[in-house]
Amino acid sequence: MNEDSTNTQSKSKVKSVVVISTAMLTFITFWKAAAIVLCDFGSSAFYAGGIAYNAFGPAFPWYILGVSFFSGLLLMMYLESCSMFTRSGVFPVVSAGLGEKAAQLAASALLFDMALTGPISGISAGNYLIGLINSTFTIFKINFSLNPETFSMIFAAAVVIYFWYQNVKGIEDSSEKSAKIIKLSLIICGILFLWSAITLALRGTVTLPPLKPQLTQEAMGWAANIPFMQKVGYIGVLIALGHSVLALSGLETLAQVFRELEYPKVQNLKKTSMIIFVFAVVFTGGLTFLAALIIDPADMAKYSDNLISGLAMSLKGPTFLKLLLQAAVVFAGGLMLCGAVNTSIIGANGTMNRIAESGILTDWFRKIHKKYGTTYHIINTICLTQLLVIFLSRGHVYLIGQAYAFGVLWSFVFEMVSIVVLRFKNREQKREFMMPLNIKFDHFYIPIGATLVGLIVISLAGINLITKKVATISGVSFGLILFTIFYISGRLNAKKANIMFEEGPREKLNETQVPELNKAFENLPYKENILVTVKNADNLYHLEKVLTDLKDSEINIIVLYVRPLDNWNAGKDREGRTVDYKELFTQVILKAENFGRPVHPIMVNSNDFFTAAAQVAYAAKAQKIVMGVSGTYGANEQMEYMVMAWATIPEKYKIMAEILWPGREVSFKF
Amino acid sequence: MEIKLNPQQIFLINNLTTKQELVQYLVSNICKDTALNQEEVFKAIIKREQGISTTLESGLSIPHARLEGLTSFRAVLAVIPQGVQDNYGKNIKVMFLFLSPSGEQYFPEHLKLLAKLAETFTPAFIEELCNLKSTEEIAAKLPF
Repeated sequence: MNEDSTNTQSKSKVKSVVVISTAMLTFITFWKAAAIVLCDFGSSAFYAGGIAYNAFGPAFPWYILGVSFFSGLLLMMYLESCSMFTRSGVFPVVSAGLGEKAAQLAASALLFDMALTGPISGISAGNYLIGLINSTFTIFKINFSLNPETFSMIFAAAVVIYFWYQNVKGIEDSSEKSAKIIKLSLIICGILFLWSAITLALRGTVTLPPLKPQLTQEAMGWAANIPFMQKVGYIGVLIALGHSVLALSGLETLAQVFRELEYPKVQNLKKTSMIIFVFAVVFTGGLTFLAALIIDPADMAKYSDNLISGLAMSLKGPTFLKLLLQAAVVFAGGLMLCGAVNTSIIGANGTMNRIAESGILTDWFRKIHKKYGTTYHIINTICLTQLLVIFLSRGHVYLIGQAYAFGVLWSFVFEMVSIVVLRFKNREQKREFMMPLNIKFDHFYIPIGATLVGLIVISLAGINLITKKVATISGVSFGLILFTIFYISGRLNAKKANIMFEEGPREKLNETQVPELNKAFENLPYKENILVTVKNADNLYHLEKVLTDLKDSEINIIVLYVRPLDNWNAGKDREGRTVDYKELFTQVILKAENFGRPVHPIMVNSNDFFTAAAQVAYAAKAQKIVMGVSGTYGANEQMEYMVMAWATIPEKYKIMAEILWPGREVSFKF
Repeated sequence: MEIKLNPQQIFLINNLTTKQELVQYLVSNICKDTALNQEEVFKAIIKREQGISTTLESGLSIPHARLEGLTSFRAVLAVIPQGVQDNYGKNIKVMFLFLSPSGEQYFPEHLKLLAKLAETFTPAFIEELCNLKSTEEIAAKLPF
C-alpha cells in the first residue's frame, strides 16, 4: 500500500465499527428444533402416565396413546399458525385472531402452564432419582430410605434455583445439548422397547389394559354431583382424556422455536413436527403402554411417580442389569425433565417479553440486568412462582398434575379458535400450510378440520373445568391475578403502549464496538462474503432478493448500515430523513428470520456512504456489494460513485456491485 | 475505450474560485468547435452534481454527463494548484470533466473511465500535477 493512498484512506476512514448481534441471528436445523421441543414436550412421558393412572386406573395407556396421536392434529394447527407468523405462539396468534384482551387471557393460561411445568418436571426428576436411590438401597440391603416427597421437593427447588441463575446470566439455550439428550433418550427408549419385547415374549401371554376408565371421585371433581356424568360413556372418555392431556404440554415451544428454524422454514417445520409426532406416539404413548403391560398391577401404585423406572425394574433379567437400565432411564429422564424446567423459564420469559413488547407491562418488568442484559425482574417473578408451587405442592406430582392441564388446554382453546377465525379475518394472508379438510367457497377456505380440532379442544377444556377442581380453582385464580396485573400495568403504561403499538416491536440488539474493521469479520462461519448495504427500513427489497437467491449456500451475508456522523448531518441520511438504526436492524433481523437465513449486521460511522461501503467490503473480502436503489439519486449515479469509491481502495481486487429494485437491477463487475 | 488528452484539452487554472465557475469554464471549452449546446451541457452536468457529488477525498472532481446524440467520449482536464472548495468542504485540485454517450451500451465504459480516474488521481499524483508549470508537462505526465 503506498503512502498517498493510505492518506486518502485515513481521511475518509470509517469512524467507528459496531457489530450488531441478537440471539435471533443464528438458525438451527429441523432436527435440533425438534430436540428443543422434545426436551419439553417429550419430558411429560415420564409423569403423564402415572398421573393418568392415579386419576382413572388401568385404562390410562389407551388415553395417553390417544392424546399422543391427537398431538399430530395439534401440530398441524401449529404448522398453519407458524406459516402465517414467523414470530408465532399464543400471544401473537390470539392477538391477531381475537384481539389483545383475549391474547392476554391466553397468555395467562400459557404462563400458568409454564409456572407448573418447572415444578412438575423438577419434582418428577426428583421422584426418578429418589426411586433409583431407594431401589439401590433395597438391592444392596441397606436399611435406609429417603422420603420421596421431601427429596423431590428439595431437588426441584434446587433445579429451579440453578436455572434461575443461568437465565439471569443469560446463557443461551443450547440446541446442541438438547439434541444430545434426545439422542440418549432414543437409545434408552430403543433398549426399553427391545427388552420389553423379550420380556413379553418370555411371558407368553399379553393382557391388554381395559378401555373403560375407572374414574375416582376425586377425578370426577364437581361432576361427581351431576348424575348423568357419572355414567362412563362418551363423557367418561372425555374426562379420562382430560386427565391425560397434560402429555401435550410443551407444544408451544414449537411456535417459539419456529423463528430460529433455518431455510426453508415451513418445510423444515413439517419435518420437525413429524419427528415430534413420531416421538410422542412411540416414546410417550409407546413407553406408557409398555409400562402398563409389563409392570405388575400390584406394583403400579408404587411406580406411578416414576413409571418408566418401574418399567425398567419390571423387565425380565438380572437385577444388576435392570438397575443399570433404571440408572440410564433416570439419567436421561433427569436431563430431559431438568431441561423442561429450563425451557419453562425461557418460554415464560419469552411470552412475558412478547407481552411487554406490546406495551402492556410496565418498565419494572422490562428492567434489564446491568451486567447480563437479561430481563431479570421477569425471570425472578417466574422462578419465585415456580418455587412457591413446589413448596405448596410439598413434592406431590399428582397435585400439580391435577392443576396442570388447565393452562395447556385453555391456551390451546384460544389458539385453535384464533386459527379458525383468521381463516375468515385474514383470508388473503399467505399460508404455506393449511390444516387439511377444507371446503373452498368463494374466497374462503372453510376450515372443517381446524374447526373439528377446535371443538375437541373446547370439549376437553370444558369437561376439565367441571372435573378438575384444583385446576379450575388454581388456574382461574392465577389467570385472574395475571390478567389484573396486565390490566393495571396496561393502564399505567397506556401512553407508552400507544407509541410502541405505532412503532411496532423492537429487537433487542447487542452493540459491540470493535477497534478495527477486520475484527468485525473474524468469526464469520463461511469463507465467502456478500455485503448488503441498508439505509431505509422500508426499502429492503434487495436484502430479500439476496436472502432468496442465496438460499442455503455457504456465504456470509454482511448487512451494513453507514450511519452519518452527528456533526455532519445530525443523524440524518443524505436525503435528510432521520434514520432509526434500531428500527432498521429490527426489520433486517425480521427479514432474516422470515427466510431462516443468518445475516451479520454491522454499523459504521461515516459521512461518505460509498467509501465506507467500499472499505467494509474490502475488509471483509466480499465478492459482491448489493445495494437498494435510492429514490433520490437513481441506480446509475449510485453505481458511478460505488465504482469511484472502490477505485480508491489500495490493493483492490475484482468485485461485483449490484443495485436491485423490484423488476430491475444494475450490475457491474470492476 | 481510450481517452487521450492533448495540451489543448488541459487547463492550468489560477483565477477561478468556485466549483461552478470551474465547471462553466470547462464546459465552454469542451463544447468549443462542436455542435453541443453549452447551456444544455452545463445544465446536465449540474443536475448530475446535485445528486451525489463527484468530488473525492483525494481532491479529484469528475463532473460528467451522459448525453443523447453523442457517439464518443469527450473530456477536458483542469489542474488548480491553489484548490477550490466544493459545497461539502472538499478541496478540488484536479477537475476531469467528461461527456459520454447516453446509450446503455456505453455505460460500462463510462463506469470504467470513472474507476480509472479515481484510481489514477491519487493525492500524491495530484500534488505532482499541481507542481507542473505547463499543460504540455501535464499531458506528458498523464498515463492515458
